[in-house]
Amino acid sequence: MKVLLLGSGAVGARAVRQLVEADEVTEVVVAGGRDGPRSEVVAGGGAKVSDGGDGSDVARVDAVLLTGPRGTHGAVAQAQLALGRAVVSCSDDSDDVHDLLALDAEARERGVAVVVGAGFSPGYTCLLARHAASRFDAVDEIHVARSGTGGPACARQHHRALSGTALDWRDGGWQRRPGGSGRELCWFPDPIGAADCYRAALPDALLLVPAFPGVDRVTARLAASRRDRLTARLPMLRKPHPEGLVGAVRVEVRGRVGTTQDVLVLGALDRPAVAAGAVAALATRWAVDGRLPAGAAGLASLMDPVPFLNALVEVGIKAAIFDGAA
Amino acid sequence: MALLRRALVALGIAGLIAAVLRIRGSGGTPPQQGGWRELSGPELR
Repeated sequence: MKVLLLGSGAVGARAVRQLVEADEVTEVVVAGGRDGPRSEVVAGGGAKVSDGGDGSDVARVDAVLLTGPRGTHGAVAQAQLALGRAVVSCSDDSDDVHDLLALDAEARERGVAVVVGAGFSPGYTCLLARHAASRFDAVDEIHVARSGTGGPACARQHHRALSGTALDWRDGGWQRRPGGSGRELCWFPDPIGAADCYRAALPDALLLVPAFPGVDRVTARLAASRRDRLTARLPMLRKPHPEGLVGAVRVEVRGRVGTTQDVLVLGALDRPAVAAGAVAALATRWAVDGRLPAGAAGLASLMDPVPFLNALVEVGIKAAIFDGAA
Repeated sequence: MALLRRALVALGIAGLIAAVLRIRGSGGTPPQQGGWRELSGPELR
């Protein structure tokens, strides 16, 4: 299996490490982005990893993993899909996700998977939502929250999302709300604990609504400090860290079992770039192996997420459940 | 002129109150019981 990885930021670097560990992956070509970071990723990747320059001359590729800057994933995916290659995108940008989902018909026609939002959130959260939903006869509400950032690009996206427009699904229709509104105290796995979370321009609802027909409400929130919120509409005042600290995600699913209403809260704790890299690498391998359905969709469209979650446990990405009054 | 000055002062005070309301307070109460535990065994089958 030959994988073309476009983007060499924090998530791309972690994804390369995961890919080269897999026996079926024979070659990983890292391309795109700036020369310096790309060279570092190639140098640290071992014998299976090579430098593909801008990526335009790389032939006989089985899958393309997109970890590059936001706003580019749709066009690149369309070009790669035209070559018959499976595509996996880690973007958490709403416009990217919208553009990628629009490739569904073409991907189905070509019989290849375009995996949209294969990161920590969206991505791992989509798997948790699907897993939690299996406990219910009917799912009424899904609420996603996340805390922490991966690399600098992720931190910039976090900042941008808080000043953007949030897209919530409510009673069968889309609602646009200002980012930074709708404060809610969310309880993440320890040591993150409680954090105030706000609406933000996040793509989770775009991915979850098609995967759960009939769901009443889908929302996504982002943990933010008071300073984040106050300065969201200003340019970033400080340069982001090379990589964020530990982050967490939380998925609250409300539904019915028979005539009883119940709530299930699942979550995970990890460094966001590490978790996103692991999810993206596994999704890439599964897309090539034909273990993901043809078409463009998020990981919530995977009807049985347990094998995927168990495979992630093997690389240290573990899910948690909240027992008690949520 | 006085009217304009009063309007500007009123707008300033309103903005200050809005800023205080925006950054102070909390979004709810934490759970009073329970906690997180790792998913394992039959829960991941």
